Amino acid sequence: MTSQTPASAERSILDAVMAGNLRQAGRLISRVEAGDTSVAPLIAALEEKRRTTPVVGITGPPGAGKSTLLDGLICHLRASHLRVAVLAVDPSSPFTGGAILGDRIRMGRHAADSGVFIRSMASRASLGGMAVAAGDALTVLAALDFDWIFIETVGVGQNEVEIVDHADTVVVVVTPHSGDAIQAVKAGVLEVGDVYLVNKADTGAAQRTVSALREALHRGAEQARWLPPILSAEAANGVGLDAVLAALRQHRDYLASNPDEFSAREQHRMRIRLERLVLAEVEQRLHRPGPLRDTLDHWLGEAAQKRCSPRVAAAAIINTLGITGE
Amino acid sequence: MSTIKIRCMLAMLGTDVHSKGIRTLAQVLRDEGVEVIYLGEHNTAESLINAILSEDPDVLGLSFSTSTYIHYTRDLLDKMRAAGVGDVPVMLGGLIHPDDEDALRELGVKGIFGPGSVTRDIVEFLVSVTGKPLASQRATAP
Repeated sequence: MTSQTPASAERSILDAVMAGNLRQAGRLISRVEAGDTSVAPLIAALEEKRRTTPVVGITGPPGAGKSTLLDGLICHLRASHLRVAVLAVDPSSPFTGGAILGDRIRMGRHAADSGVFIRSMASRASLGGMAVAAGDALTVLAALDFDWIFIETVGVGQNEVEIVDHADTVVVVVTPHSGDAIQAVKAGVLEVGDVYLVNKADTGAAQRTVSALREALHRGAEQARWLPPILSAEAANGVGLDAVLAALRQHRDYLASNPDEFSAREQHRMRIRLERLVLAEVEQRLHRPGPLRDTLDHWLGEAAQKRCSPRVAAAAIINTLGITGE
Repeated sequence: MSTIKIRCMLAMLGTDVHSKGIRTLAQVLRDEGVEVIYLGEHNTAESLINAILSEDPDVLGLSFSTSTYIHYTRDLLDKMRAAGVGDVPVMLGGLIHPDDEDALRELGVKGIFGPGSVTRDIVEFLVSVTGKPLASQRATAP
């Protein structure tokens, strides 16, 4: 795929990961998260080994029951002896960069199950950094022997929406208290779903929320090849999870039988991934010592002395990247 | 901004449910820029080892408020070594009696923070045992 080939030490890591050594897989994900650029050949090699494991994104507001839903879905899948990997993303503090990653607690039933691989990731503040790390982490997991991969994020911002862009199927989880029909048509997280789930259906007027979502999402979309199912469930009580799994399988089959749609998604996913990789690299170069940071510092001086506007300075910095034509 | 973070896994073993201390520590560490993988109560040696494999923490912190900590710690460290994750440093906090510290260190415990410990000590231990900087230190670095 590239001219880069892993060195021998990396080769043995690759072999270990491919042989199912979960610790090496966990460590590789740590290197990806730390922005270690030396993993590039390894990730490229794993990309070649990528299986067609379905990747399901689960997103929704905090407290909607995403981890609890996952816990229930994992139970169902494990009952069929299917192996499951989970990337659970929790927000980082924008002030300190720290995080409390607590999603594993909701999935405690599977804590000692070697057929379930749960990795917690902090969203971190870096522009695109998380999406890059999540993409590479998914590459690691997709090269391993899993039957389903889930990625769970709090759906509150652009970063999180981009993370679920890595998924083949996106489940948006809301609750009966998630707001009325006006909220339902707000742009953003509610536009990304392939499956919608009104969770905690025992706590309120779930049917009204289902109706509001149906009104918002199905109206005018009757001709669509995939009409997102709108389901309700009580994940904590294990109610309605069969229908969720059935919808996930249906969507997987839909993609398999609509290769044009699937490849359009692949294309979109690859575009997002490339954009994020480029942005992350530029961001890193702005911060670490080198020509781009020198240029930034130079123009920072100019702008700070009010000898030019920030826009002029930014355009000059962009020019040094060799990008012209605009 | 560098993306190197200390990843610290915090957990309690067995039937010990006095989690106030470990929950407070989780928040303190978050505020220091640490990524805390919080596992709460009711863990077993097996579940912690499974979590270490996938989460790759730099440190495992256990809190005890019952007197059975030597038994639990020995069992855990034996199983960690057998599973090939014996290199992950383990620290203990909570109601650890000073008389037990030598025995615990002999078992392989790297950090002990009993009654009277301050969170600053724990943070400094994390920095020294991981060799990684804190986010708060990095913010002031040139």
